[in-house]
Amino acid sequence: MKFGKRGTALLGIATAVLLVSSGCSGGLLGGGNDSSGSSDTGPIKLGMVAPTSGSSAPTGVYMKNGAQLAVDEINKAGGILDGRKLELIVADGACDAQQAVAAANKLVSSGVAVSVGGYCSGATLPTLPIFAKADVPMIIPAANSQDLVKQGLKNVFLINGTGMQQSTAALEFIKKQGYATVALVDDNTSYSKDITTETQKQIEADGAAKVVLNTSVTAGESDYSAVVRDIMSKNPALVYWTAYYQEGGLVINQLKQAGYSGAIMVADGSVDPSLPKIAGAASEGVFATMTQTPETLEGADAAKWIASYKTAFGADPGPYSTQSYDAVRVAAEAIKKAGNTKGADIIKALEGIDGFKMFSGPLKFTPEHTLSSGGFVILEIKDGKFVLKDSLS
Amino acid sequence: MSENVDTTRAPRKVGAPSSALSRILENKHLGWVAFAIALLAPFVTATPYSLNVMTTAAIFVMLASGLNIVVGYCGLLDLGYIAFMAVGAYTAGIVSRTFQLPLIFTIPAVLVMTVLAGLIIGAPTLRLRSDYLAIVTLGFGEITRITANNLSITGGPSGIFGVPGLLQIGDLDLQQPVIFYYVTVLVVSGFVLASARLRGSRLGRAWRFVREDEDAAEAMGIHTYKVKLLAYIFGAVWGGFGGVLFASHLSAVSPQSFVFLQSALVLMAVVLGGMGNMRGVVIGAIVISLLPELLREFSVYRYLAFGLLLVVAMVFRPQGLWPARGFEPERVDGTKIDPALKPTKGSAR
Amino acid sequence: MTQVIWDGLFVGSFYALIALGYSMVYGIIKLLNFAHGDIYMLGAFIGFAALTSVGGIPASLSLVALLIVMLLSMLLTGVAGVVIERLAYRPLRSAPRLAVLITAVGASFSLEYGISAIAGPNPRSFPVRLEGGVFDFIGARISLPQIILMVIAALLMFWLNTYVQRTSTGRAMRSIALDMKGSLLMGVNVDAVITRTFFIGSALAGAAGVMAGAYYGKIDFLMGFIIGLKAFTAAVIGGIGNIKGAMLGGLVLGLVEAIGSDLFGGQWRDVFAFGVLILFLTLRPTGILGERVTERV
Repeated sequence: MKFGKRGTALLGIATAVLLVSSGCSGGLLGGGNDSSGSSDTGPIKLGMVAPTSGSSAPTGVYMKNGAQLAVDEINKAGGILDGRKLELIVADGACDAQQAVAAANKLVSSGVAVSVGGYCSGATLPTLPIFAKADVPMIIPAANSQDLVKQGLKNVFLINGTGMQQSTAALEFIKKQGYATVALVDDNTSYSKDITTETQKQIEADGAAKVVLNTSVTAGESDYSAVVRDIMSKNPALVYWTAYYQEGGLVINQLKQAGYSGAIMVADGSVDPSLPKIAGAASEGVFATMTQTPETLEGADAAKWIASYKTAFGADPGPYSTQSYDAVRVAAEAIKKAGNTKGADIIKALEGIDGFKMFSGPLKFTPEHTLSSGGFVILEIKDGKFVLKDSLS
Repeated sequence: MSENVDTTRAPRKVGAPSSALSRILENKHLGWVAFAIALLAPFVTATPYSLNVMTTAAIFVMLASGLNIVVGYCGLLDLGYIAFMAVGAYTAGIVSRTFQLPLIFTIPAVLVMTVLAGLIIGAPTLRLRSDYLAIVTLGFGEITRITANNLSITGGPSGIFGVPGLLQIGDLDLQQPVIFYYVTVLVVSGFVLASARLRGSRLGRAWRFVREDEDAAEAMGIHTYKVKLLAYIFGAVWGGFGGVLFASHLSAVSPQSFVFLQSALVLMAVVLGGMGNMRGVVIGAIVISLLPELLREFSVYRYLAFGLLLVVAMVFRPQGLWPARGFEPERVDGTKIDPALKPTKGSAR
Repeated sequence: MTQVIWDGLFVGSFYALIALGYSMVYGIIKLLNFAHGDIYMLGAFIGFAALTSVGGIPASLSLVALLIVMLLSMLLTGVAGVVIERLAYRPLRSAPRLAVLITAVGASFSLEYGISAIAGPNPRSFPVRLEGGVFDFIGARISLPQIILMVIAALLMFWLNTYVQRTSTGRAMRSIALDMKGSLLMGVNVDAVITRTFFIGSALAGAAGVMAGAYYGKIDFLMGFIIGLKAFTAAVIGGIGNIKGAMLGGLVLGLVEAIGSDLFGGQWRDVFAFGVLILFLTLRPTGILGERVTERV
């Protein structure tokens, strides 16, 4: 193939530019693998993939702030491993598989020692092998689909209660209240389907109640009359909505308008201050399965925590602020125990943690790397706010 | 309904392009230069992040070059193009996971499925007027995604994960980021070249005829329905192979990756690059897929800017920012061909 | 079953209101206005902004307040529709279809993400709700807000039909739909009539947006996307370009969807709607009420 004069010149220029610039960074010829997280000096980097754009962006901010608060506190107390500071790097996953993979790669490239992010289960799943390949332990604060631990990757730890534990809490409450018939509704996302499937399994195994309906809706619509009709025709004692608050508010409102008089319970994805606003008066008395939030915790510690969050960020903490805060603290604890930032050592340290104090209770991991106790409680909406109803203990 | 060409006059001869920029852009070796840059890029930066971004960009180029066949060459607006990528990705993922095969062996299945998908979507709709076609393809795109989300064979809402790698022979694992990047670049270059060559083929000329004036094309003996269907099938195959690369790149396939927004982004790359002009489309695709990585902070305004850009581009340059030159080489008597127009082997035109 | 029919008709009346705008614009200048669904969204957000800025409204006045806000929103969305037509569509009136379609997609994008940039990507809860009693009617539960909204929708559609059939502007619209050049030669101010068409169509969508906000209580920047598609489907079912057809199509689509999701489950609802669209376009592209027209070249 003969190149014309101009073509050769172009190619020459392009090659020259590329070769010159390759001298100063991590190209294939640049030698030196600078992407490993186990450098021995300088700040220890913690990475977080969280949605800071897209429709889940507000949660991303809650997570980021919660983690930052823990980082600041630990740094103020002198850091870990002989005074090394922590540094939090947040990358936007936008709740989208492709963007989350890009974000995870970005974090791995910048040499994070531990990942403390992960919100949408669907977007977190494809990031697992990336962190695994780079030998980076993941402490996942929010995403809690069973699929995350099904692959048996050594580096994956969930510190949010799993769908299974949430279902157990739901079942316990159903038995306590004596609901005989239950309708399960999800929105066909992996997170919410996980809970309905698991709840149905557990209810059927237990036999105390009967699942009369297990159905799905499509997120993003306004009219849910089809599912409302379905529910009304079965007239269950309890409707358990396991998806997010945006549609949850609509479903609750339309159920009440259709004259539904039974109880309604929502899962943790719907525990958001917006839910009562969207559903209006219909949301009074709605129950929720949720891990402890700072608002529902009693005692001075929780109040102090909320106050310091407020002074740091000028806003109230929200869903998953506490879990992200805890994820950073757990990471720091594990690094301290491991004595270095090598992935394998941190993983060993994480597996050995027993009784570390978190918002959801003392921490100990099961062999599957999920929480040994989910720490789920039952909340109830009173005057448009979620308050503690039953701590199930 | 003539758009690019003033058909009342004889085709204008190609003179030397005037400005320096267009001289560079019209250089016949540009394709090779771009290929060389793509090959050399990992020598500049080879962090997992940059490799990931570059691989994603290459896959996006693949999609754009496929949609360019449908929209750019044939003038059919497809607003659900991502559905073909979904078909390819899901087929590859399901087949390889069920039979524990490396992804590369799923290619025959992907080929069959995407051709089928092209036929199923194209056959009933291509008789329709072009604007109906646009909305029907949009509907098909949504149907594909919702179906994938509701069925259990496609893994439901979580999709398929743990997709096996492309191929592993001894120590050579094609899934290694650097190697995978090169594989992607090679495959994509091949497809881009093929689609560029298609443009000059007999079929390519028929497509452009249909685009410029369907009735005239019909009158001249072109079986417009068949020709349009072929454009659709070619586009589907391109998208399907993009899907295979996508599945092996992410090692997971989930329905959220195939929303309308993605179709719109591919369309944007084709339109902004210049409908029908392969080089422009490649540049457009690279810009569209790299911009968000460079401008993370402005993500709120990104789509707003894209939308406005589409309107502005169409109002001021309805044929695309850098359209294909809408005329045929003038052949006076078979011997006298302007040297600038001589088809050059291997160069992407 | 009566409940299914009632629910279908109620949702269908929303589709019908939006389908009207689609159908009018398409009938007159053969333009598929993709941004039309987003005008509906814009209407909801204008209503939201107006009601929020006023602040606390006593429950007894909520219907009055809503009606006022609806008129305001109709006015503003009407203007928005005119502006879009003026800036994005008019320069391309003689351009190839592909260019116009792409412009429409661009306009839709700009509206969606413009609102998202201004109001944020989170769903907002509508400040004023329509509350009211519920009563039984041959086995279907019907609520007062539903009745009110359907009456408003019916009044708007009735007015539109009279306007198009009885006034001189309406006659001008119909004549442009038949032959734009001919109308121009006969002294019809084509540009002015098209502007008015966009105003009316957009205003109706804006009204639907406020109604949806007040009834459902949640609005977000992507709420117009799916419903825009559904409205187009409705317009096609009824026979695009035909005003009565659009109303009929909306109700039919609402019913078909309600019955379909009753049989197959709610998650298949959209698949059902688009399936009907594809079926109609292939088997009877002129719709129920449309007349067979040979395409002019």
